[in-house]
Amino acid sequence: MQEIFSNLALGMQTAMTWTNILWVVIGGSLGTIIGMLPGLGPATGVAVLIPITFGMNPATALITMCAVYYGAMFGGSRASIMINVPGDASAIVSCFDGYPMTKQGRAGPALAISAIASFIGGMIGMVFLVFLTQPIASAALKFGPAEMFSLLLFALVATITLSEGNLLKGLIAIAFGLMLATVGIDGMTGIIRFTYGIESLNDGIDFLVIIIGVYAVCEVYKNFKDINAVYKFDSKSIGKVWITKEDWKRSWKPMLRNSPIGFLIGVLPGMGGSIATFMSYALEKNLSKHPEEFGKGAIEGLAAPEASNNACSCGAMVPLLTLGIPGSGTTAVMLGALMMLGVRPGPTLFTDHPEIAWGVIASMIIGNIILIIINLPLAIPLVQILRVPTRIMLPIIMGLALIGTFFLNYSSFDFIIVMIAGIIGYMFSKLEIPLPPLVLALILGGAFEQNLRNSMVLSDGSISIFFQKPISVVFLVLAVGTLVYALLRRKKQTA
Amino acid sequence: MNLITGIIAIAIGGIYLVTAMLLPEMRMGDKLGPKLFPSIVGILAIVAGTILALEERNPGKRSKKADFGFVKHKEVWIKILLTTAVGIAYGLLMDPLGFLLPTTLFMLFISTLINKGRLVQNLILAIAFSVITYGVFAVALKLSLPRGFIEQLLPF
Repeated sequence: MQEIFSNLALGMQTAMTWTNILWVVIGGSLGTIIGMLPGLGPATGVAVLIPITFGMNPATALITMCAVYYGAMFGGSRASIMINVPGDASAIVSCFDGYPMTKQGRAGPALAISAIASFIGGMIGMVFLVFLTQPIASAALKFGPAEMFSLLLFALVATITLSEGNLLKGLIAIAFGLMLATVGIDGMTGIIRFTYGIESLNDGIDFLVIIIGVYAVCEVYKNFKDINAVYKFDSKSIGKVWITKEDWKRSWKPMLRNSPIGFLIGVLPGMGGSIATFMSYALEKNLSKHPEEFGKGAIEGLAAPEASNNACSCGAMVPLLTLGIPGSGTTAVMLGALMMLGVRPGPTLFTDHPEIAWGVIASMIIGNIILIIINLPLAIPLVQILRVPTRIMLPIIMGLALIGTFFLNYSSFDFIIVMIAGIIGYMFSKLEIPLPPLVLALILGGAFEQNLRNSMVLSDGSISIFFQKPISVVFLVLAVGTLVYALLRRKKQTA
Repeated sequence: MNLITGIIAIAIGGIYLVTAMLLPEMRMGDKLGPKLFPSIVGILAIVAGTILALEERNPGKRSKKADFGFVKHKEVWIKILLTTAVGIAYGLLMDPLGFLLPTTLFMLFISTLINKGRLVQNLILAIAFSVITYGVFAVALKLSLPRGFIEQLLPF
């Protein structure tokens, strides 16, 4: 326990520099704005803002990205509340009661409870994060190739089985991601694989280029259909951005109840904010004495998913920081950007660079406080961003995406990959093939193959190595368990 | 929709598997070699694609028709293809022409494509975007950017 507090104090030392606090404010504000824009989620936000982290030291870079992520979580529901258009999938539920509150002339309390619930959910999530990371990271230090392979297998299986959508399509997305990950020189034998004679591919495909393509460029393509969208609302009718005693009485229990649920869902790979928010909403509706008020402006119907969503984003940081495994699209983007800066999140981050690992955790606590300060008094000026027409925002997003691509490797060839990835992402959305499994497989594919091959070297070619190590067995059982669960769920749905 | 997804998975998985099989066998103490893992991935794509495609034969599990909007939203696809082509050209022009000129031209093109008929607004957006990003990245963050004839004239 004492070790945790001394580590947190070390983290506070890193986070409390003027530079880092300034970047938390900038990152949080930019994240809030991007999260607010309809259709642009946190993954796109972090992807297009990656270039601003180049030239920073790794701690400041990660702190800035976390602030963008966090800011996007705070901002995501603003558009849901004001114009009934969610900023991203996890803000869909906020439309259910947030927009009816606006229609009743209660936009102020809706914006206030959204920020307060996000703050409370984030703070509760942070408590869990602080106490969980150290034990998990310490345990993960003992992992050999067999344990790592089984863990990665579980992460990949969980991504397709726990997320919503067609299991087989998730599997196909994973296969495509692994295919992309194998392009280039094989690290163990030096053989060039799957480049089809294109020399620029010899070093492999930079997954950040693919990520920018399938998230940012693809988002612009998806919005081409609605380029004339202009959102209007009456600022004067927002009123005071604060809640009444009655609002608080109705909301505090749902916020406290749903924060741990959101955190747990965030820890699991593939289960992002959208599942957390839907689950919390359903739970509150079931527990409520007035379920008929849900969907008509019940404040607890907004408070519960908002708290759950921010706790979920804290949960998603657990596998990223302790195991180096991103559990969501956004954390995948963050992992990619950090690897660019020469930092590999994982258990060794806590032993080799505790100031970075704990600095980030501490900065999230500070960020949470800064974001509530930004989002409560500045709520009305901030929502004015929604008035900027889509036709102005889209070129800016596209421009930032391409400049970001250029900064990754200073390569013209990357422009070809990013543009093609944008089209592939668009086709995937039309075919309803999920993107997160592809992105995760692309990022983890190299380590997945490497650990499999290293295990085989250690065991002299016998697969029994995966069944001899207890931790490996646990992950294999979990992988099989989630697969069986998904198959049963699928059977039930089709029955 | 699932039939098309299945066929794509089988085709890509097939090409990938054949390429994997043609890789040289070179183990050098590595028990699996460079072929086995890709072969498994290729087979995985083919098997998943085949099951998905075969499920379409069952009327109860049939998915909805894929709607790419090639005809209904022809203008969207024209915009996507034009943006793709110009985006690639932007990347190729960056080295010979520097950052500012290609960025302004690209932004002018894309904003004209999206924000039709507002030339002055688009011109302001294009110039402002390239100048601000140059200021942020090259001047404030001191990141290296390609220098063309415009940048050569600048003091920073």
